[in-house]
Amino acid sequence: MLATLIRNLFLGAGAALALGSLPVRAADPGVTDTEIVIGLHAPLSGPLAAFGVDALNAAKMWYEEVNKKGGINGRKIRLIVEDDKCNPNETVLLDKRLVTVDKVFLINGGSCTPAVFAAQEFITREKVPFVMLNAAGDSGVFPATRYMFGALGGTQRSNGAGMVEFAFNTLKARRMAFIIHDDDFGNANWATAKAITDRLGVQVVAAERISPRVTDVTAPMLNIRAAKPDVIISAAYPQPAVLIAQKYGEFKMTAIPLVQAVQGIPVPAVFQKNVANDAIFTNFYYTAPLNDMADGPKQQKWLKMYKQYYPDRNPGAMMAFGLPSAMAVTRALEKVGRNLTREAFVEAMESLDFDTGAVAGNIQFAKGRRDGMRSTIVVKFDGKKHTVMPAVYTWNGRDGM
Amino acid sequence: MLISLLQAIASGVVTGCAYALVALSLVMIYKSTDVINFGGGEMVMIGGYLAMFALLAIGLPYAGAFVFAAVVAFMVGAAFDRVVLDRMLGRALPGQSVLVAMVIATVGLSYVLKGLVRVVPYTEEVRRLAPLFAGDPVFLGPIILQRQDIAIVVIAVLLMRAWWAFFNFTLLGKALRATSQNPRAAALIGIPVRAMRMTIWGIAAIFAAMAGILLGPKLLMTPDMGSVVILAFAAAIVGGFHNLPGCILGGVVLGVVQNLVGLYISSRAIVLTPFVVIMLVLVLRPQGLFGGAVVTKKV
Repeated sequence: MLATLIRNLFLGAGAALALGSLPVRAADPGVTDTEIVIGLHAPLSGPLAAFGVDALNAAKMWYEEVNKKGGINGRKIRLIVEDDKCNPNETVLLDKRLVTVDKVFLINGGSCTPAVFAAQEFITREKVPFVMLNAAGDSGVFPATRYMFGALGGTQRSNGAGMVEFAFNTLKARRMAFIIHDDDFGNANWATAKAITDRLGVQVVAAERISPRVTDVTAPMLNIRAAKPDVIISAAYPQPAVLIAQKYGEFKMTAIPLVQAVQGIPVPAVFQKNVANDAIFTNFYYTAPLNDMADGPKQQKWLKMYKQYYPDRNPGAMMAFGLPSAMAVTRALEKVGRNLTREAFVEAMESLDFDTGAVAGNIQFAKGRRDGMRSTIVVKFDGKKHTVMPAVYTWNGRDGM
Repeated sequence: MLISLLQAIASGVVTGCAYALVALSLVMIYKSTDVINFGGGEMVMIGGYLAMFALLAIGLPYAGAFVFAAVVAFMVGAAFDRVVLDRMLGRALPGQSVLVAMVIATVGLSYVLKGLVRVVPYTEEVRRLAPLFAGDPVFLGPIILQRQDIAIVVIAVLLMRAWWAFFNFTLLGKALRATSQNPRAAALIGIPVRAMRMTIWGIAAIFAAMAGILLGPKLLMTPDMGSVVILAFAAAIVGGFHNLPGCILGGVVLGVVQNLVGLYISSRAIVLTPFVVIMLVLVLRPQGLFGGAVVTKKV
């Protein structure tokens, strides 16, 4: 009796082992026994290419590193790379192509909020996991939807919170002037900034809402000058940010600190060249969701790796923004194991909480939370040297909601 | 407050002068061919990029960049007329109007130019065309003006004067005017209407390209900078689409009104201003503020 029992136990264990070593066929597209297909996209041409080229290269680099180490659970990652130009229509079309023609398992892409938001309906309908590359993506992650994860470089809410907290705590500003776009992106930034100024009892002396297509910021900057603020907070895109900085210098306002959100200064050297007036850097700060300056000591590891992969290219400040999303994807894939399905992947993403070594705070998702990172640092730029200010500012997840 | 007002007006005049150049280009084409050129903004954009190419890649001085951009822009405008519009006209059946198709062709031109520019390396990031004149700003009392701003006004005025002299005192200019006023009569007296039409497109492209070079240091260069064409349309409508001096004034008026709206109403309303102005003028005075009485055109 006992011998039969032991024999059956061994047989059962053997059968289980044998089955475990057999290839597991996943039901979802984009996964075979040997590979996982991922669609990767970003703006690689056009005026917003500075947001995408290096970030996408960094993500590619990370996936290649993972492949070099044997892949994930026995599968290599195969990438299909596309240029979305930050254009919502083109993004939706190429995501449809990636899902229906190329049969990718998941999409890791997008550097601009309107473009990724435009894709949300399609990926939700098709139940395809979508991890934003480096888009702030407020409207894509608030309210949370099951398949879209993003803001691994922070949201506009975390960015707005960081700027106001910095101006209040470090610059001791009590009269703040804002110049912010009047689109979704600006609305998210402004909602948070307003909530925090209300909470802190700060007086908002000017709130200039400008179109991203504005060609002349004379009037808003005159309004700000007349309001005599302690600080000017700008959350403009690169082109208007340069126009604002030029008027700030032209109207001799440089005694008032100017805090510029990161999206307006993706490459500080280019920003400086375009403004062409070093006087504006007397009192100039910009936010960054990285854990250091783009070329600071904590970023050297990534810069070195990037140079190995792309020896002919000098990485822009957006390079490290592409790493966290690829890291999150590979971690979640690892967690799922061999039985890889899109639903299991989503659940694995929801359990992530890790330090990337690249951005200012931990990447953290949860059920009902799809914004990955909430921290910001502030850098002082005097025209020659970038200095990281001491504190890290973390949005509480409530202000501006 | 008065200082802000004066500053807003001065700044509006500067940007208005650049809009006026684009408007002039649009009106020139409209008056001579009845075609509304929706590719006018992209002609502005290529002007800026051509100058950037001439300055950075060829190493020409600014004067050379102006000439280079003018020559290439002329060729682009003339080629578009000869290769596309002229063929459309040539294939039209007797009595058939191809005007709508020609207008749509200008939309196509805008996409082609934008697409072509995107493949050049300069469009990878937002760039600024080097200012014509660098240095400390100039103070006119409390008003601050960049040297570039003064250059914009001076060059725009010079270009407009040159345009006026060309059309009034040269044989070619007079032939172009005759073609624009009555092509059939012009043909009867031996003016080569097709060549004149092509020349008009070329000259209009030059004006748009010059505006691009003047705006490049102010607005920064991107393939999408052609969107300023909407401001030029508004300027032309304000001044009167048939009235060349009117469209120049329209540009200046629009530039100033935009700034005053931003100053006294809301910054959010700045980009709405041209649309509101277009609607108001079309409803209240369709011939434009400087357009005179409405007349029926006889061809």
